[in-house]
Amino acid sequence: MKSFVKSLRLKNHLLTAISFLIPVVCGAGFMIAIGLAMGGNSSADLTKSFTFWDALAKLGGTGLGMLPMIISTGIAFSIADKPGIAPGLVVGLAAEAIGAGFIGGLIGGYMAGWLVLATIKYVKLPSWANGLMPMLIVPFIASFIGSIIMVYVIGSPIGWLTAGLTHYLSTLNGTSKLFYGLMIGVLASVDYGGPINKTVFAFVLTMQASGVNEPITALILVNMATPLGFTAAYFFGKMFRKTIYTKVEVETIKTAFPMGIFEIVEGVLPIVLNDIVRCVVATGIGGAVGGAISMYFSANSKVPFGGLLAIPTMTRPIGFIIGLVANVIVTGLALALLKKRVTAEDEEKEDTATEADLNMDDIQIS
Amino acid sequence: MKIVGVCACTVGIAHTYIAQEKLEKAAEKLGYDIHLETQGTIGTENPLTQEEIDSADIAILAIDVKIKGMERFQNITKLTVPTDIAIKSPTKLIEKSVEVAKSRMSGTKA
Repeated sequence: MKSFVKSLRLKNHLLTAISFLIPVVCGAGFMIAIGLAMGGNSSADLTKSFTFWDALAKLGGTGLGMLPMIISTGIAFSIADKPGIAPGLVVGLAAEAIGAGFIGGLIGGYMAGWLVLATIKYVKLPSWANGLMPMLIVPFIASFIGSIIMVYVIGSPIGWLTAGLTHYLSTLNGTSKLFYGLMIGVLASVDYGGPINKTVFAFVLTMQASGVNEPITALILVNMATPLGFTAAYFFGKMFRKTIYTKVEVETIKTAFPMGIFEIVEGVLPIVLNDIVRCVVATGIGGAVGGAISMYFSANSKVPFGGLLAIPTMTRPIGFIIGLVANVIVTGLALALLKKRVTAEDEEKEDTATEADLNMDDIQIS
Repeated sequence: MKIVGVCACTVGIAHTYIAQEKLEKAAEKLGYDIHLETQGTIGTENPLTQEEIDSADIAILAIDVKIKGMERFQNITKLTVPTDIAIKSPTKLIEKSVEVAKSRMSGTKA
């Protein structure tokens, strides 16, 4: 059973789809963020009169509205290659139409991809009709069956589930908000833009698609605060007269800081890899604080991405700013205290990290 | 011993290139010839040709996502791992791949 689940490579397909999704979230997210920040209206009608900022906000919003289709298409493509694209798109649209949203798109993508594989495998045509296979049979059967299942079977329950979850999350009280914020904060801050961070991202993006903005705001906050915290740690280190970064690492900070302003965590990775455990502990503690504060004060970004640009879209930016500052200070202090003093020896050695043992479960030989 | 491979991560801006660098350094240290292609968000860089792959002894695919040009690797033994394995244990991964390559070679001879 375990090996069957593994052979489905669910996570791999999801990550591939997210790799297609993220540039859309960034591009469209920045457009709506700038548009809204400059006073644009994201529900403007572009066939009537509109301002430049209305157009920007509207187009960004339209792009973000495509996310269920993009996740669905991405997953179907990952499973079935090029033949997966058309059914993935159609089933994603079906999920959107029936109100199953992002979760519907996600499940629809797997369904579309596997339907394509099954069609190619099980539908046998006489040789004169082989040309019809890629043009007609595969796209039609997979799109048709996939959308029918989405619309008549699984779409509505997914819609109810999403609505229930949304209702539950929007009626959270103080303590449970703290708890969820803390969870999001820790999970988002311990792997620096890696698979855990992206999985949390997919989850909070789903929440935002159904109108709950707080979880994604906590994620934005933590993704910004982690690299900014590394920068703060440099200055805290100076205050304590403790050098915690090598010269190479200081150079890394210089690029990680501007990336952090725009919510890109990955800039700090080279530093983290030299000292994984201490960095993860420090950013985990900081992320817990930041995420909890952001959720507690219900900071609510209307855009899924943008870092500093997300702040003007919030109706409660103060909670965000308090959380951000707290997260940066806690992460920075923790790093400055936990990290070892850099010695002359470290400066020479490029790679101080000892290697982890290989786990054969992670290696697939073929 | 000649190693080829591809690195590709989810976002395609950091893990991809760190995995590449770590594997290259580790291979160099161990004295093996390595050529890694990266498939980041910016596109394919440092591309591998079919000839290079065919002449190599083993392929390491440090990938979190689906990659382009998988068919090029049909006739070569591959080690497929998530990028963070390549980042955390590059030397051990290279050693393992060499071990696999050697066992396959002796296997075909016998």
